[in-house]
This record gives sequence, C-alpha cells and structure tokens, in this order.
Amino acid sequence: MFLLLPFDSLVVNLLGISITVLFTLLLVFIIVPAIFGVSFGIRKVYMKTLLKIFQWATLRIERGAKEKNHPLYKPYVNGIIAKEPTSLEEEIKEIRRSGSGKALDTPEFELSDIFYFCRKGIETIMDDEVTKRFSAEELESWNLLSRTNYNFQYISLRLTVLWGLGVLIRYCFLLPLRIALAFTGISLLVTGTTVVGYLPNGRCKEFLSQHVHLMCYRICVRALTAIITYHDRENRPRNGGICVANHTSPIDVIILASDGYYAMVGQIHGGLMGVIQRAMVKACPHVWFERSEVKDRHLVAKRLTEHVQDKSKLPILIFPEGTCINNTSVMMFKKGSFEIGATVYPVAIKYDPQFGDAFWNSSKYGMVTYLLRMMTSWAIVCSVWYLPPMTRQPEEDAVQFANRVKSAIARQGGLVDLLWDGGLKREKVKDTFKEEQQKLYSKMIVGNHEDRSRS
Amino acid sequence: LGASQWLPCPQGPQPLSPLSFPPTVTSEQIEHLHRRFKQLSRDQLTIRKENFDSIPDLEFNPIRGKIVHAFFDKRNLRQESDGLADEINFEDFLTIMSYFRPIEMNMDEEQLDRFRKEKLKFLFHMYDSDHDGKITLQEYRNVVEELLSGNPHLEKESARSIADGAMMEAASICVGQMGPDQVYEGITFEDFLKMWQGIDIETKMHVRFLNMETIAHCY
Repeated sequence: MFLLLPFDSLVVNLLGISITVLFTLLLVFIIVPAIFGVSFGIRKVYMKTLLKIFQWATLRIERGAKEKNHPLYKPYVNGIIAKEPTSLEEEIKEIRRSGSGKALDTPEFELSDIFYFCRKGIETIMDDEVTKRFSAEELESWNLLSRTNYNFQYISLRLTVLWGLGVLIRYCFLLPLRIALAFTGISLLVTGTTVVGYLPNGRCKEFLSQHVHLMCYRICVRALTAIITYHDRENRPRNGGICVANHTSPIDVIILASDGYYAMVGQIHGGLMGVIQRAMVKACPHVWFERSEVKDRHLVAKRLTEHVQDKSKLPILIFPEGTCINNTSVMMFKKGSFEIGATVYPVAIKYDPQFGDAFWNSSKYGMVTYLLRMMTSWAIVCSVWYLPPMTRQPEEDAVQFANRVKSAIARQGGLVDLLWDGGLKREKVKDTFKEEQQKLYSKMIVGNHEDRSRS
Repeated sequence: LGASQWLPCPQGPQPLSPLSFPPTVTSEQIEHLHRRFKQLSRDQLTIRKENFDSIPDLEFNPIRGKIVHAFFDKRNLRQESDGLADEINFEDFLTIMSYFRPIEMNMDEEQLDRFRKEKLKFLFHMYDSDHDGKITLQEYRNVVEELLSGNPHLEKESARSIADGAMMEAASICVGQMGPDQVYEGITFEDFLKMWQGIDIETKMHVRFLNMETIAHCY
C-alpha cells in the first residue's frame, strides 16, 4: 500500500504535465496563429509525408495482388457503358434509310422507330448518370483508410502494421486534438459574438464582429486539418453582392468564411446549431429564416433583396444546388438567388479526396457521424477559385443566368456540368422533363404529317 | 469458362448456359452488372417492377412501360411457361442483357443469323403484348400511341390514323394485295423478319462496355 502511493502520485503528475504540455503546444502552434492568420507550414509538410506513404502503400497492394493472383478492381469514374453520341433524329433517319429507304419526311410511322427508344432504355437501366453522382467518388490509390478500399485484404504484414499505426494516430492522437480545437473554436465564437453584440452599433462593432468570426472559422479550419489553397483572391466578393458556390458538405461554409467576411443565409435549427446561429446574429446581420418562412419564396426573395441593396452589409453566401453533391459534378442551380438582380461572385470548390472524402451523403450518415468521419480522416485538402463577378444580361432570364454561372464554376473546378436537379436524390423526375423526349419524336412524325396534309 | 468462377451469385456460383455468354463477356463486366443489379434491387436477391422506378433517366423514355415489361416477360427469359414473372434474379437480368451484347468478329453465317433472330424476337415481344404470336392492329396502335403520347397537340385520332397507315403498309409488304373483304390478322414473326430485312439490327442493337483495365489479371 505504501509503495503504491508515491507511484500513484507519480502517474497523476505525469498526466497533469502531459496535458499541460499538450495544451500549450495547441495554443502556441495552432490557436495563436489562427487568431493572427499566420501559418507555420506544418500542415503542408504533413501532407507531403502522407502522400509518400500512400504511394508506397498502393505499390505494395499492386505488388501483393500480382503475387497472389488476385485481380484488382479499378473503380470506374466515367460509367461502364459507351453511350452513343448520336441524337434521336440521326438514329431514326439512319435506320429508315437502311431499311425501306424512306426518308424522314414521310409522315408514316416505321416499325423500326421503336428501336432507338428501346436501346436508350436498356442503356439507362445498365448505367445511370444521376445516381452515380451521389455516392462517394471512388479513388485510384489507397489512402490507408479501410472505408475507401475495396481491395483491402491481408496483403502483407508491413501494410497491415502501417494501417494499424494509421488507425492509432488518427483515433488516439488526431481525434482528441481536433475535438479540443473544435470545442475551443465554437465556444469562442458563441461568447465572442455575444459580447460584441452588447456594443453599440457602429464601425467598432462591425470591425470586432468580423474579426471574431474570422478567428473562430480559422480555428475550426485547423480543427479539421483543412489544407486550403485559394486562387485569384482579387475576385473575392464585395459588399452588396451574392457569393455562389458548389456544395459538397457543410464544411464549405467554414472554408469560404475563413478567407473573407460573409453574411450567412439559412434556416434556424434547434439544438447546438441554433445556439450558434442566435449568437452570431447578435454581432452581425446574418439572414436566418424560420422553418415556416423558408417555404414562402417571395418572403425569402424580399429579405435577400433588402440585404443586398444595403451596401454596408456583407455579401451573402448561398449554395444554389440545394443539396450536397459528391464533388465530381455540378447539378442544376435553383434560380431563386439569381432573380434578385445583384452581382454574382461565383466560387468553385474542389476537394482532393485522397486525404479524406468530404462529401456528406445525408441519406447514409447523420451530421454527428459525418463530423466524426471528417475528424478521423487524415486531412481535408481543397482548392478554392474565386471567379470574376457576373451580372445578369438583359436578354437572359434567371434560369439561363443560373446555367451560365454553373458552367463557369464547373469549368474552373474541373467538374462535370450536369443539367440534372440535385433534388433528384430524393424526389422523382418532374413531369415536364418526361415529356420532352416524347414531344421531340412526335413532332418529327406529326409535324411532317401536318405539312403533308397542308400541301 | 472463367465467367462461372466469378459470378458472385447470392445463391452460390452457378454454371451459366453456354448459349447466353460467349467468352467475350468478361468476368469484370459481369461484376459491374452485378453491382448494378444490387443497386437496383437494394441488396435483395430479386428485382420487381417497382425497382425500375428508381432510375430517373428512364422516365424520359416514352416506351418505359414496355421496356420494363420486357424484363419480366417469360418468353424473353427463355422459360418454358408463358406470361409474366413477378420477380427476376440476377441470372434472368443477365439473360435480358444478353440480347444487347455486341456482335463478335469470329461469328459465322449461322451464328450471325441466330444472333439477329434473337434480337428481333426481343423487339417482336415488345409489340406483341398479349403473347399470341401476332402483332394485331390494336397492339400496333398501342405502341404508336405510347411513342407519340408526349405531344399534347396530337389528338388520339391522328395517332390512330398514323398507326393504321403503317399497318396497311406492313400488310402490303407481307401479304401483297388483299381483297376488300380480306382481314389481315396480324404480323407474325416471319412477316416481322421480312420487314426488318436490310436493316443491320445486329450491329446497332447493342450496348458496349467501356474498356476498363484491371490492375492485375489472373489469366
């Protein structure tokens, strides 16, 4: 018993010292630089080291698979079937020409016309453009996270040890560190904005609120170990404008807001999120809607218009896709934000999935699970491009403008520009789209019929 | 045959009939189709008609109903009985997909002819919805109406007259001149074949897989 006592206090002392050391390191290397916006470059070194290790791991898997005669499945990115690029008209003309020799200007229906639709139907059953976009992009090399590997079997002792070491580092060292940082960041945000909220309105309050927000976002960025590269910063959004970006995960907000001052738009949630939102709005005029107000499009448009017309207010940050997409494509932008008539500043965000997949598949994971997955990945690496501002031209309507912005974002970020609606993930196709194909075909047959009967 | 080794059939690996799968359908393609099957069936062993509702792209297609129907048509599934199946398993799915496999370089005359007949039979079954071996005027009208149904300006009468015109044309090709009181019962499969003469259906009715490499290969 007497022997245990000094041993006991020794352990307690050691624990106390290590925690103090950890927190001092945290403060010095992470929090203080975050406040002042400087960086030691630790994250870049970390990223380079990780890349080297991943390359080694991938080579090792390939070698091991060859030795053991396992075929490895390289996942497809572009779909599994070759879709013919010819249009409806061309195909039907071709078939008719080779068959009975009748051209398309005869108004009759041919037995062979069914063929085109049949083949197209089978193609879509085999492989669908849309549902592919919603599951996490599949990787080409293994990043030591078993959640992304289809080929992971026991290949070699060294690889398994490395993977085990990776698990240990991520869950026992990085995860607590990140949770501590996130906690610090969020509590600083809530207390900071509440305190600033008590100040009288004026330039001092604005200045302080902007910096409190910025500081806390920077801490949160470090909490996720996000390594962000900003391009073309001279195009950053200005007051009275709307910033639109493609949406992959809730983290997009933190990534953009840590490099500029924005007013947020969104629905008020309950719980912790609600507390944060209510504190934030005390210091700075963000635009939060009650759940009932969100359905009323005119009300939403009115409030947003009021906000952008006030030049002293910060630019609004909006994600027009309406849902999280898996960062290989950009889906249809909802036209609401493009009707307001303000200058639009497009931003393209592209994540590098090698270090950690940031896509939030909200039908598969809840928010908490998602955040835990984020915090146990190696890092979040992404690039942000600020595109030059765009305004609506007089001859285009809101939908065309939205599509123009979307193409610019897709082109810059190297994403595929899809015409599809991101809301398809959950709902079925709207009836208006259904009829287009049928209209086209029937126009071909009947349009000619009418011409014929007239002549 | 390597394909049978790799078929990850839930019921356990089964030998596949040599008629369905020529050696050029690789195990990798079957694996991809199996993943697609699992996605459609939501990890069940069989697919029902409702599972095809989850394909948004398919809504575009005016003959969607007929295509889905074709998957459950027992004649296409090479089953002895007639009528519609309620659900299909992966092997049935592959059987339907095999109607769309591309032509191979080393096929001889007889194989080519059989290949072509198989594909045309698939299309014939699409028209012949009551399974009586003939495409009647009513069935023909049904198909034309479905294909033209998207046009709101088109009256049913116009669609019907277009179908009737086409049917008359078909009759004249198949039977020649008919007397005024002769009734044309319907297009049989032989007549159907006659109408497709000259159209190289076997080179057009296929879905080609993109060339994918595997990192290591076992044979």
